[in-house]
Formats: sequence, structure tokens, C-alpha cells
Amino acid sequence: MSKMTVDEIKASVAAEIDRRSDELIDIAKHILAKPEPGFREQKTSKYVGDQFEKLNIPFESGIGLTGLKGVLEGGSSGPTVGVFGELDSLIVLGHPHADSLTNAAHACGHHAQIGNMLAVAVGLQAPGVLENLSGRVALLAVPAEEYIEIEYRDDLRVEGKLEFLGGKPEFIKSGAMDDVDLAMMTHTENRDWTHDGTIGVGATNNGMVAKRIQFLGVASHAGGSPHLGTNALNAANIALMGIHAQRETFRDHDTIRVHPIITQGGIAVSSVPADVRMETFVRGRTIDAYTSAAKKVDRALRAGAMAVGGRVKITTVSGYAPIQQDPLLTSIYEMNATPLVGDGNVVQMGHRSGSTDMGDVSQVMPAIHPYAAAATGKAHGDDYVVEDYELAVTTAGKAMAHTIVDLLSENGSRANEVISRFTPPMTKSQYLAFMRSLQSEEEYGE
Amino acid sequence: MMLGIDELKTAAIAAIDQRRGWLIEIAESVLRNPEVGFQEAKTSRLVADAFSQIGIPYRDQIAITGIKAVLSGGRPGPAVAILGEMDALRVPDHRYSDPSTGVAHACGHNCQIGMILGVALGLSVPEVRDALDGQVIFMAVPAEEFIDIEERLRIRENGQIGLLSGKQEFIRLGEFDEVDIAMMVHTSATSEHSKFSLGGTSNGHLVKQVEFIGKSAHSGSAPHQGVNALQAAMVGMNALNTQRETFAESDTVRLHGIITDGGRSVNSVPSSVRYEGRVRGATSESIADAASKMDRCMKAGALALGANVKITTIPGYFPIKNDRWLGELFKESATRLVGRSSVSELGNSVGRGGSTDMGDLSQIMPVIHPYASGFTGLGHGRDYMVRDYDQALIYPAKALAMTVIDLLTAQAEKAKEVLVKSDRLMTKARYLALQESIFSEDLYESL
Repeated sequence: MSKMTVDEIKASVAAEIDRRSDELIDIAKHILAKPEPGFREQKTSKYVGDQFEKLNIPFESGIGLTGLKGVLEGGSSGPTVGVFGELDSLIVLGHPHADSLTNAAHACGHHAQIGNMLAVAVGLQAPGVLENLSGRVALLAVPAEEYIEIEYRDDLRVEGKLEFLGGKPEFIKSGAMDDVDLAMMTHTENRDWTHDGTIGVGATNNGMVAKRIQFLGVASHAGGSPHLGTNALNAANIALMGIHAQRETFRDHDTIRVHPIITQGGIAVSSVPADVRMETFVRGRTIDAYTSAAKKVDRALRAGAMAVGGRVKITTVSGYAPIQQDPLLTSIYEMNATPLVGDGNVVQMGHRSGSTDMGDVSQVMPAIHPYAAAATGKAHGDDYVVEDYELAVTTAGKAMAHTIVDLLSENGSRANEVISRFTPPMTKSQYLAFMRSLQSEEEYGE
Repeated sequence: MMLGIDELKTAAIAAIDQRRGWLIEIAESVLRNPEVGFQEAKTSRLVADAFSQIGIPYRDQIAITGIKAVLSGGRPGPAVAILGEMDALRVPDHRYSDPSTGVAHACGHNCQIGMILGVALGLSVPEVRDALDGQVIFMAVPAEEFIDIEERLRIRENGQIGLLSGKQEFIRLGEFDEVDIAMMVHTSATSEHSKFSLGGTSNGHLVKQVEFIGKSAHSGSAPHQGVNALQAAMVGMNALNTQRETFAESDTVRLHGIITDGGRSVNSVPSSVRYEGRVRGATSESIADAASKMDRCMKAGALALGANVKITTIPGYFPIKNDRWLGELFKESATRLVGRSSVSELGNSVGRGGSTDMGDLSQIMPVIHPYASGFTGLGHGRDYMVRDYDQALIYPAKALAMTVIDLLTAQAEKAKEVLVKSDRLMTKARYLALQESIFSEDLYESL
């Protein structure tokens, strides 16, 4: 084995990624063209599996239904670094890259993540690199980061195919993360959110629970005998009012977000609605903040049912935990990203009121979730498109691969330092117990 | 020599016409001294003086301000009560509102006082009085408008009243015990074509005193530490609105209320908010149904915000049942005065959305509560004003006097016929027990 310096290793990683840049960007664009929402990413999963095969990377598939895990082994033993790429798309009507049948669309740039995850893989496969590293790299293609289609996923849960409704919590539960010691991924963003930086680091995110709500009334002829009916839509309306009436009790720094939708608002206008369904998230900066807000939401939902003399079923699913990005891992990443994008172009980000299941990962291991400002438009909007693939795939891949080189060279001493400094908020079993404690089903009313 | 029935009526009418100016003066004097229910001290004094002048013995201070004057006929027989309401409303922008209190006669009760004195004048003509087989009992009753509930509950606590309206109290105090039949005429702003309208029904109602109890906190710096009672009330009131389509039209349900205390200072999270609600309906069942919906909506408001709510239920009025036979007699007299085409009759199912404690009386004896026009504007509104005193006061007095003459002359044959034909809906004891059973207090806790 030829002994290479860390700089030499990084240089050959970067050269290899550059050499295969077009191929990697094509992979991302291929996924962009075939968007699939979470736990439905069959084609995307198969495609990523094909790429692992082409790269001779051994992998498991079917983790959390559609997830994959490929592993690159270093020259000697040491810690395992996980690199995530999210498989799923959103559903956004009118997105330029939306699937014409399903309206699925990569309006959050996850397709680029598969590109940058595979960039890490090809970079580390450059001659002489892996044998100089102590430890392993897990390439984690995870399903279902977007917490959508709650009814569909909750049905999968009831059927026993899932326990949690997000990909990374399922990865943690399945044991796929048991041998992973620290984790990273790179998300795309627009420059507004990175304060005009090329790469943003250190952001925090809201955690959240999700609720599936069903108001049950009594159907009756809406014209002929409304007095014999119980209007479930009115119950939902009152519940929404009850939620809004409490907004000023949410503290600013808790960044609570409650944003329900009505997924079924009645069946026929001539019949008093007897089955009205809603979904909502309750998000907040800390676990205490969003679980306390969720109690206020629950009582408003009950009040809706009470007011009309109906019933409400509230199914709470555990959602995502808030993220805490590991400071040491962040600084190692920052040192590697800066030379790639230039001094002053890696910026510290603030709190974000969206949520990600990287938050869950961050509860049990050191994790980072930087953003590459490669997109334009509003995230989750019909105008969110990745413009700068060079940055989103190639540069983002290099920054992570170089960070991994720092972590796993020198007998993995930096990785071990990150791990030893990190106090996990929860162990895996505590995390699973916490997630299960949030799950509940309640029926309230007359 | 005995006068014939038509001559008696002519004599009574002449006596009323003779004092027309005085009667209108009385009505105007009441108009200019408006007082709310159970506080009609000046009005009560004025009525007492008027009975003294006419020479009919009376008792006063019944149910605080009420007056009862008894005119005995030549021989014993049934007792017919003629009622006039003394109280005013609170309508500050009414032309004749008391500038210091905002109280105004926006419901025309002042003319009723003129009417009962007119009837008293007409029937006090010695020949008329002697021809009556029975008694005519004039009652100036307090507090027909069911308002100022908190104040009335307070004087109820003091033992000054037991029920919250004038006629209810008169019933409770036994003042109607010897009365067999009761009549009054209310003013209205109906058209020329309907100078008198008879029959119809009214809504019954009950009252809800609702207090939302939250937790105060600084509205700017610590709203998260408070529980907003005003928001609870808002959710409750909005929830109430969603129930409206569940009421059958035939029940003429009305759910309405006012916020009597909506918070004390804008920079403190309101911790006590009061709502006074009214539940009206055509039947006891529809009132009970609507009342339970009001309750659950108010509780839902509290539940949504994590507040408490205290709901005090106070019995209000029963729907009125106008006696058909008595109505027919009155109609004859009214027709003689204004012509057949100017007297209209509402079916007994035709409801007026409002409520009156004459409804309570109608549960225990035959009553009529016809309307006489002569006003313009909206009842209870700022512009409810007398247009024609003849129509609003003089004709009704005459019609009532003529009806009494019909009822009580000739051995009170007609009065006895009414009593035989009319069925009583309930006894006084049953009525009082029902009213008592509605008084309740319910505390729902979610704080």
C-alpha cells in the first residue's frame, strides 16, 4: 500500500469526482425526470441499486421498503461514516419537472443528493484512497424524507409494513444505522436561505408530530333535514378556529407551526358531511415546544367535535425530532468546503422552521446537514429547481468526501474525537421509546 | 234603569274620549321618564296617583314596583285582569332616551299605561261598573323586558324577587290567584291595514349567563402564560353560528347574545369574559335542544383554549298561547272601532320571534295579547316612535273596555263560557316548579 498524505488523498478524490462529473450529474437528472414520493420510490431505488452495482459497491436493499445501504470498506478498521441521499420527491402541482400522472416532483432537490452521495462514492473509490482510510463509509439511500401522504403511510403502518412514517426513523429502527457512528448529507437550497453563501452550515430545524384527524358526524339531507344531521365539516371548522385562537400563546423562539389541510371535506353537497378528514403537523424548535403545542391542537380538535355533538378520532404519528448539528463535525466540514467554494462563502445558517428526519439521526449520533445554494425558487414550491448541478452534485460531493478523508485518515482519530465529544441526547432504544410515546390514537365525543 | 250592553259600551267609550288628553299626557309622561324593569319608581308613583284620581283602590310595591287596583262590579263573578307594562329598554340613541341612563321606551309600554287607565276610566262609569258581574283588576306590572340579568340575579339573591320578570313575580306572589282571565294590548308598527292584529304565538326563551374563566398574563410579553377567555368566547360564539341550520324553521329558534364583559385592559390576557345569551324557540322542546347546543358550544370554546366556563341557566318566558274565544270577543270590539278590514288575525302557528311573559300567564289562564298599530320604526330600535295616539292608546283602551263589558255583563256568561271552553296548559304550581327546575349552574373545567 502506498502511503499518501491527506492532501494527496483529497486531491485524487477531487480529481476522480471531476472526471466523472457529467456522469454524476446525469444520474441526478435521471432521478429528477422520474420523481416518486416517499415509500413509493421503486424505480428510483432500482436505479440507485444499479449504480451501486456498476460501482461494485455491495449493498442491501428494501430497508424501510425502498431504502438501500452500500458500504465502502477502508484499508483498516475504524468508525463508520454515513452519507445520506434522499430518494423521495414531493407532490407539487405545476412544477416544471412534475410527473404528469402523479404530480410528483423533485421540488426539494433530493435528486441532487443521490448525485452527491454517489460523488462521495466515486471519489473515495479513486486509486489508493480507501486503503489509506481507517473505517467505513455507508452510502445510505433513504426513502421518504418528505412527511407527506400521511394517510397512505399510516395505512402501511397499520398493515405492519412500517412503524414510523419517515425513512431515517425506519433506518434507525431497522438496525441499518447500528454500525454507523456519524452521519452527513448535503441538501440543496436557494441563496436567500444561505444568506448568499454558496454553502450554509449549522442550521437548526423544527421537530414535529403529525396528526391524522377524522371528524365523525351524522349524515342527513342537507336541505330537507339538517336538524337530523351532525355536521363534521362544521366540527373541523370550529377546530381550525380553536387552533388559530391559540396562536399568540406560541412563543416566538419556539417557532411553532401548525398548518392543517382538509383531505376530505364532505362527499356530496346535498348531504350533511359526516366524515371529514384533516392532516396537520405541529412543529416546534424543541421537543417540549411542539409536544405542548400539540396538546393545544388536540383540545381544539376535541372542541370542534364537542361543539357539534360529534366525534373526533385523532391519530398522532411521531414525526421528526429537531436537528442539532454537531459543532466539531461542522467545523471539519467547513474547513473542507471553504477551499472548494472560496473564503467567506461557507456561511453559518440560523433556525429553520421546516423539519427533517436528519433531526432524528442527530439525536443518536453526531450529524451535519449542510445546504448547497444550487437552487432557485421556493423550496416545496412549483418554481424550485436546481440550477447549479456542478455545486449541488460535484462540489457538494467533494466537500463531504474530503471531510470523510479527514475523519478516517490518521487511524480515524478525527472521527473518534467527534464521537467521543458527542453526548447523544438519546440512545437508539431511548429514541425508539420516545418515538413510540408520541404515537397515539384517541377518540373523543358523544 | 239598566242600560243595554251597547249603551254600556257607548258610555265607557264616551268616558275614555272625555279624558283623551289626560291619557295621552300620562303616556307622554311615562315616555319622558323611562325606567328599566323593577326600577320603575317614578312610573309606579304616576300610575298610583292616576288610580287615586280615578278613585279605584290599589296596592303598590308588588314585586318592588308593581301596582294592582281592583274595580268591583255590581255583583260577584269572574275576575278579569287588564295589564300594562311599566318598564323601558336600554336604547341610548332613541329620541326619548334618558341621557343619563340610555333608557328609552323603545317598545311602547308607555302607551300600555295609558291604555289601562283608559279602561279604568271607561269601566268606572257608575252605570257600567254596576252592570259588571265580577271584578276588573288593573295591573301595572314591572319588568317585561328580560334584560339586566346580572342586576336582577343580584336582587334575587337579596330575596327581593324570586323570578326575573314582572308577571312571573306576580304569579309567584299569588297576585294572579284570584284572576280568571287576563288581557293586554301591545303596540306595534304594523300597517294601516292591520290596526289590530290578533292571535299568533311568541317564542319562549331562557337565558344563559356564561362566564369564561381563563388566566391573565401580559398580552405582549407572556401570552403563552395566559389562557385567553375572550378567545374561548369567540370560539364558542362561532361554534354557535354553525348550529343554525340544525334548527327547524317551525321552531323559530333564535340564539343570540351579547358580551357583557370582554376583558378589562387590552394589555392583559382577558381572564374573565362574560356572555349573556338568549335561547328562544316556539316550544319547550326546541328551547331545550337549542339550549343544549349553546351549552356545548360554550364548553367547546373553553375546551379549545383550555379555559373554564360557568354556565348559569335562568328560566325565561314561555311561548304564548292566545285564547281563541277571548280573541273572538276582542276582535268584535276592535272591528266595531276600526272596521273589519283593519283587523287581522294570525294563525296560532304564526310566531313572532320575540318573547313576552304574557306567555307565562297564558300557561295558567286564558289570555290575549293583541297588537295595536300606531307606531313607526323598529320595535326595540332607535326609531320606534308613536305616530298616532288614537290607534296606539285610545282604540286599544276602548276595545279592552268593550271586551270586559262583553265578558262580565249578563251574569258574566261570556267569561264563564271562555273559562269552560279554554283548556289550561298547567297549574300555577306546575308552572312554578318548571321555572324553578330550569335554574341551574354548570361549571365545565378545562383550565
